Amino acid sequence: MAERPEDLNLPNAVITRIIKEALPDGVNISKEARSAISRAASVFVLYATSCANNFAMKGKRKTLNASDVLSAMEEMEFQRFVAPLKESLEVYRREQKGKKEARKDKDKKADSEEQDKSREEENDDDDERMEEEEQNDEEEVDN
Amino acid sequence: MAAVAGAVPVPVPVPVPVPGAEAAGPGEEAAGAGPPGPARLARLPLARVKALVKADPDVSLASQEAVFVLARATELFVETIAKDAYVYAQQGKRKTLQRKDLDNAIEAIDEFAFLEGTLD
Repeated sequence: MAERPEDLNLPNAVITRIIKEALPDGVNISKEARSAISRAASVFVLYATSCANNFAMKGKRKTLNASDVLSAMEEMEFQRFVAPLKESLEVYRREQKGKKEARKDKDKKADSEEQDKSREEENDDDDERMEEEEQNDEEEVDN
Repeated sequence: MAAVAGAVPVPVPVPVPVPGAEAAGPGEEAAGAGPPGPARLARLPLARVKALVKADPDVSLASQEAVFVLARATELFVETIAKDAYVYAQQGKRKTLQRKDLDNAIEAIDEFAFLEGTLD
């Protein structure tokens, strides 16, 4: 399944909704324009990823983190995205923390009821990193 | 102050929270309907964004947060380019955004230069 990166599209329905909400009521969008914007969005992700990766490599890190992406935005001249992105990130972090604590509470209650300390807590690092079995688990692509 | 050494198991039936009931504590924001505007959660599915990130052979790992920020950034990008393209539709007195409006925006706006030649 050798897919070209540009062929990995984001879901049309979501793209369309974002476009409609950005434009005034009553404005329509042609299928060609919608599809071009969707493609542009994919290219944007690829370009931003590459940019962010440069920052990670500069920091001698193998894992892209949120601040690498923010640095990439500035590099790509989308500085005006940085403030709203930081806000969103705060909300996201709070949400993730809430989920973890809800899970920990469940585990604690279960532990005190069962008195079974053999069950270990989930490794929190798994939540922060995506699981990658190998670096390139896609089939080899001839570049 | 009564210091209780060690946890004494109290055989009181503790009401177990029903799985699936997410909105537990007071003051907790509903995870589903986020606030509108910049602080809302991503609408683009993170799995698809992640697939794009993995397509880059130079990238080994990306944190979940990084994928989230990319997803949000992409949404902002879509909003931005749609609005910028719409200016051209307005100039043409049209209420339908067309492909050429997008092409015009890409040509005119520096930040969109990276898109040149990629949309065909």
